[in-house]
Amino acid sequence: MSKTGLVFFPAFDWAISPTHPEREERLLYTRDQIFEEGILDQGRIIEYKPRLAAEKDIQRVHFCVPDLAAQTTTAHFISAGSALKLGDALMAGEINNGFSLVRPPGHHAMRVVHGNRGFCNINNEAILVEYLRKKYGLRKIAIVDTDVHHGDGTQDIFYHDPDVLFISLHQDGRTLYPGTGFVDEAGGPGAYLKNINIPLPPGTSDEGFLKVWREIISPLLQSFHPELILNSAGQDNHFTDPLANMQVSAQGYARLTEELKPHLAVLEGGYAIETALPYVNMGILLALAGQDYSWVIEPQLQKQQIKQSAEVSRYVDKLITYWQKILSQLPPSKEELYGQTSIYTNQRSIYYDTENIREQQQEYLHYCPDCLGLYQVISQSDRTSGRPGYLIEGISIPIYACSACHEKGYQLWEEAKKKRKGHFCYLQDKKEDRYLVHKVI
Amino acid sequence: MEIGIDIGGTFTDGVVISGQEVLKSIKVPTGADLSLSIERALKQIMKGVKPEQIQQITLSTTLMTNLVVQNNLAKGGLLLIPGPGANPYQGKFPCVYKVLRGGVDYRGRIIEHLEMTEVEEACTYFLGKQVSQVAVACKFSQRNPVLEEQIIQYIQEKHPEIRVLASHKVSGLLNWVRRANGAYFTLTTREACAVFQENIKVTLKKLGLQCSVFILKADGGTLPLEVSLHYPLETIFSGPVASTLGALACTEEHITAVVIDMGGTTTDIALLLDGKPLLAERGAFINDYPVPVRSLAVTSLALGGDTPLLLENSQLVLGKRQGPALCLGGPLLTVTDLLVYLGYSDIASPQLIAAQVEKMACALQLTPQQFSDQVLALLWAKVEGELEKMFKSWEEEPAYRIWQVLSTQENRPQTMICLGGPATGLGEFWRKKKGWKVIIPAYASVANAIGAALAIPTLKLELFADTERNTYTTSEGGRQGVLSASLKNTEEAKEFALKLFRQIARERNLTEDTAWETLYEEGFHLVRGWQTTGKIFQIGLQTVPGIRAFLKEEAPYV
Repeated sequence: MSKTGLVFFPAFDWAISPTHPEREERLLYTRDQIFEEGILDQGRIIEYKPRLAAEKDIQRVHFCVPDLAAQTTTAHFISAGSALKLGDALMAGEINNGFSLVRPPGHHAMRVVHGNRGFCNINNEAILVEYLRKKYGLRKIAIVDTDVHHGDGTQDIFYHDPDVLFISLHQDGRTLYPGTGFVDEAGGPGAYLKNINIPLPPGTSDEGFLKVWREIISPLLQSFHPELILNSAGQDNHFTDPLANMQVSAQGYARLTEELKPHLAVLEGGYAIETALPYVNMGILLALAGQDYSWVIEPQLQKQQIKQSAEVSRYVDKLITYWQKILSQLPPSKEELYGQTSIYTNQRSIYYDTENIREQQQEYLHYCPDCLGLYQVISQSDRTSGRPGYLIEGISIPIYACSACHEKGYQLWEEAKKKRKGHFCYLQDKKEDRYLVHKVI
Repeated sequence: MEIGIDIGGTFTDGVVISGQEVLKSIKVPTGADLSLSIERALKQIMKGVKPEQIQQITLSTTLMTNLVVQNNLAKGGLLLIPGPGANPYQGKFPCVYKVLRGGVDYRGRIIEHLEMTEVEEACTYFLGKQVSQVAVACKFSQRNPVLEEQIIQYIQEKHPEIRVLASHKVSGLLNWVRRANGAYFTLTTREACAVFQENIKVTLKKLGLQCSVFILKADGGTLPLEVSLHYPLETIFSGPVASTLGALACTEEHITAVVIDMGGTTTDIALLLDGKPLLAERGAFINDYPVPVRSLAVTSLALGGDTPLLLENSQLVLGKRQGPALCLGGPLLTVTDLLVYLGYSDIASPQLIAAQVEKMACALQLTPQQFSDQVLALLWAKVEGELEKMFKSWEEEPAYRIWQVLSTQENRPQTMICLGGPATGLGEFWRKKKGWKVIIPAYASVANAIGAALAIPTLKLELFADTERNTYTTSEGGRQGVLSASLKNTEEAKEFALKLFRQIARERNLTEDTAWETLYEEGFHLVRGWQTTGKIFQIGLQTVPGIRAFLKEEAPYV
């Protein structure tokens, strides 16, 4: 009998604030539905106890400014640790797949963390990916993000990593937070077309949702040959979600899960806590466990039409045609994309909606013919009420770095410390699993 | 003085306890008729004891186990109202059932009404199959019992020949499959339980006993005999409970230990953690069917003193019981024989089986000493494997709150309490090999009856109150109702839970001042459209688990 692992951590004693969507009540009805069904007694679904992630697991992914303690609570360590727990169970062969049904979520958390963005501080999936690579030597991992919001945090973290294929399908950034996730954000010069965005128009239903899965994502996954597939399982594409405008049902989510066959699914957003979450979570869990989900029908479903308009269908078809064309062509090489320069640079401004912080970033990616190359970031957050601004520099040595880049990473680190500029310097040596912080002033 | 009686498969044991002392103990063979076995045991133990001296009798019976496990049940069926969710045809139900339209959601709101024609059709179907006992189970009926009640009322009016029971009356547990099965087993064993109860009353009268009688429950507590008729399922699997509590009574209050009870054919393993028996995480199963009963986490191995030692392809293996030990006239060399040979047991003379032991050792090209070590190692490997599983499931108990994740489990036990004949010798081996402390209580042979005598009543209450809908429900006792006054905060909710707790406690003959503890207390803001529209409270209370007294006599330690 195949087994599905479940970590259920509703964090009944944690909230961003008492009336915030990310509050204690969020998974209460999901708990009620899953427990009441009695499906945990059947032996197919094994429930695991959540655990805490280690500090190192988080440092492997993030530059937390000024430090980990400022950006995390115990709930974050547990939420991230729960995914790791299932990762270990999966690698030990105890389970065939798993669902980390936890709060708080993580997919808006980027590499540099100055505060909470889109209810997220640290990125649970990214922490899982780096953990699995470090501990088990996995290399190629695909992440499919089915939250209605663009998974901008996960995109940011793996933007230059050709071993991680990140695919996000979401409501178009022109109509929804975080306002990114367009088709031209397709990966850095060393990882071009390893970041695929599928921005869907408001009003897309099960039909469009499943169509882009079957016609874009599925073939893409097949050609990537991932060793592991992860699903950032946000549930706010649901037709009743109060923060978005899509028309997807529990059946649509369950069907996608059944066909996608993720090894591990990690809960992201979804704030229709009564009308969507109990049913969508049930649908996903049953689909993972290979059980019949056809009875998971929301009571509201009869009352509401969720058929997508002809206009939406036309738009979805255009999107599919676009991606099919791009993906059928031979992509330009890394060298062509770098062009004359040996350092790819990028300047941008990032907004933290929850805490009203604005961050300015300069990113540098050093070209290397033998590995991913070094990543360097200079980041400044503005001063907001009750919070000082910080200027930091971060250097990241990739896990499979060549020895030249590894050495050069430490040179850059020494130089950064000597500059005596800003507040903190961070070194992320994923190859040796070493994480250093230097306080400048 | 209190009497404890434990009816086992082979023997019925009894003890009379006064304070911390065992005054008397007896052992009689168990017959086919349970009531008669109890009568025989009581008669024997009452010899020389005045009936008025006895304040209380506690029985640990195999009545429910026999009825249910051997399927001696009245013919019953289930009416299921699943609503949205998992496919009900894939649920684990022990009898014929019909699935009806209708639905209630997690907040107790009706999302689909019943079709009474379907109920009528189902009745015709059941009657056609000679099923005249029907349990009714609707998902979330503990949050709103209306649909179950409508069906009960319909059947009582139109088909009085069918006996019905609603699942919300049996349990308020958040697990409808368990509630459904609980209602089914309760309904179909009710008559046999009533007969048993009458028989006990007659016996007591005959012996002039007027004291109160309790039945031992699967969770280590007790229920008054009269109340047990309403919750018969809770008295199932009480045998291992009795011996675990007995082991506890023979040691000390805060002991953390593994309890091994080895009989002729089976070995039961249980855990005592800080003086409390570990409960099964989700509850009991009957023939693989989940039921709404809290029970001890007990693992049973088909391994005991009568387990034969066999040679298969020149390899030593443990076989299935064929009869008693060779030294007691059985057909094959057994674990008990080996213990006799090694001098760990004095039930027979080692000379009787020495030749056989040496012969088998020789066949394996081993010295008798090497051979003995190999047998014991093989035996313990099985026990150890099960222990590992138990520890792991204890350590992996799910946690839904930060504080639960942070409260790490204590270290694994390093003490073993051995009960049952063969366990003594095996305990010695374990101590040598693992360095554990091994305890063999003086009253090991009647520990189960001691456990029954010293058990105390238990009650666990989980309140779920929804101030927006103005309703509340409880798990045990299966109560639902309307909140007369709105609960403003967690303190008020807890006060209300405690009131209900005391009411149910009174019904179950618990005293006013029974010690209780809070398992959890939490309040959830219901926010709709950015406004707080009400609160949901969850309060868990329970009696402090334990036993009435610890025996004074120092147990001899190995």
